[in-house]
Amino acid sequence: MAAVLEGGAHRAHKELVKTVQLEGQVLLKIIQHCSEALPQLVTGQLLGLDVGQQLEVTDCFAFPTAVADDDVEAESAGANYQLEMMRCLREVNVDNNTVGWYQSANMGTFQTVELIETFINYHENIKKCVCIIYDPQRSARGNLGLKAIRLKESFIELSKEQKLTLKGFQEVKLSWRDIFVELPIKVRNSNLVQALVADLMPAPSATLADVDRLNLSVAPFLERNIQSLVECVDDIVQEQQKVSVYHKSVARQQQLYAAWLQKRRQENTQRLQDNLEALPEEDPTLFKPIPEPSMLDNYLVTNQIATYCDQINIAASEAIQKLFLMEGIQKAGL
Amino acid sequence: MAATVLLPSSSNVSVKVHPVVLLSICDAYVRRKEHQDRVIGTLLGVVVDNVIEVKNCYVVPHNESSEQVMVDVIHHKTMFDLHQKVAPHESIVGWFATGSDLYNSDALIQDFYSKESTHPVHMVVDTTLKDNKFSVQAYTSRMLALGDKVLATEFVEIPCDTIFGDIERVGVDLMLTGLNDPSPESKKETANKSFSDEAETLAASMGRLADLVARASEYVDSVVSGRVSGEPAIGRYLADTLALVPHLARSDFERLFNESVQDAMMVTFLSDLLRAHVALAERLGTAALPIV
Repeated sequence: MAAVLEGGAHRAHKELVKTVQLEGQVLLKIIQHCSEALPQLVTGQLLGLDVGQQLEVTDCFAFPTAVADDDVEAESAGANYQLEMMRCLREVNVDNNTVGWYQSANMGTFQTVELIETFINYHENIKKCVCIIYDPQRSARGNLGLKAIRLKESFIELSKEQKLTLKGFQEVKLSWRDIFVELPIKVRNSNLVQALVADLMPAPSATLADVDRLNLSVAPFLERNIQSLVECVDDIVQEQQKVSVYHKSVARQQQLYAAWLQKRRQENTQRLQDNLEALPEEDPTLFKPIPEPSMLDNYLVTNQIATYCDQINIAASEAIQKLFLMEGIQKAGL
Repeated sequence: MAATVLLPSSSNVSVKVHPVVLLSICDAYVRRKEHQDRVIGTLLGVVVDNVIEVKNCYVVPHNESSEQVMVDVIHHKTMFDLHQKVAPHESIVGWFATGSDLYNSDALIQDFYSKESTHPVHMVVDTTLKDNKFSVQAYTSRMLALGDKVLATEFVEIPCDTIFGDIERVGVDLMLTGLNDPSPESKKETANKSFSDEAETLAASMGRLADLVARASEYVDSVVSGRVSGEPAIGRYLADTLALVPHLARSDFERLFNESVQDAMMVTFLSDLLRAHVALAERLGTAALPIV
């Protein structure tokens, strides 16, 4: 019986979310909310259904930006808002199932400790939740910066057991790359909406965005990216210092312990000669084990660095393409 | 002299709708309760000069029969308060209904909404796809009064347009081309066009701009050959635009080009270096060892 139960749980375990399907209106709502709220970063809730390995998001609503006056008050206000909104939406037959949340990110940076904490909070109640990250700067440059991510299962278990140390990571063979898993996004529309969108098909005339895309200057974007990159590298150096301090203190503790042990042994031989009882060779109160620092920050910053590097690479290669095109046009004597 | 019917002067109000609103309305229509024929709800937006921009909407449950109509006012108020918390600058600008015609009860609902906002706009979204066309119409109401007595409320149609922000256009384009899953029941893996096909979007942009330039040059040709009488304003505008094209001496251009390319390459090199460094540290396990 126990084996069957475990088998069942294991199968449910395997049903991880593999793809995310958005409805058109969710896409547009997220875009509208995040772009209008610039430069502030905002969040919102996703509602939908999970169907096997695919998570269908059918609706979403925005969260009011929390005023950081009183934490307790803000939290209860936020929870109230959520309850009220869900109740109203239920009356009009909207899917009442929370499947995750979305947030806007600045320059594509979303790897923070708060994100992980929110994920873990969600995970307590909903096994399959996803976070959609929207990058408004990327979209302003012409391509939709939308990503769906979730945490890797093994990472969630590891953090539940509080074993976010290097040894813990090595045991489950996770590297910093494996914390987040990116999911492919599909967009689906009901037939009625497809008819609407087909009708709405905008006239194929060029827009201001097209003109902006031909802009050859990529320097400001690269500058900002590199600045953030430099900050990240500073953070990593700090983290490394923490780790080195830990190792040094462990080494020093070992030394002290060895010296103390020797002294104890000498005392013991002395006492044996005097026919007294030997003192114990261990004293737990003197040498408490030093806790190993968590590797979480280290890994998150590394993830951040990887994101920035990717962005820089893409932007730089775009710029080079455009520059070479420009050169070709100039050479042709236009 | 017969009493004249007083018609207040109609201000030339026009309505601009964001596509989000239309998609939400369609979605609400698909989700409506079984016995209902149509869905009504509130429109939120901003009013700038004589243009009403509709940015958001939400559905309000209602019940209508041939004699009376009931609207769930509490729901309407609650949702409005909730929306105010997120977007305080948006206000109620009117209401929408699906279906193809105006109903008798619309006048009553319009009355209710005129208490909420000064010039409520009534938007009719034709979800029945009459005439094989998806039509969106907007009306504003005015009172027909005979002297002092109010006769009726008349709905006057006003121009209604869909506007896209540039970013929304990207979203709508994506929905149209390739990311669509044609049948909701199919489980086959549709080709997942990635969101970041940079080169393709660049090519598409250039195509559109090239079209524009071709049209402009066609126009100029036809003016020159005398087929079309030219307008001096357009001619001046074109001349100004062409004057903006910079003429760079060859050496200048080479210098600029080389500098930019070198910058981009250096940055790529730096980022690759950093990545290699991190990867190496991870492999050697030195990410967790003290820096010697």
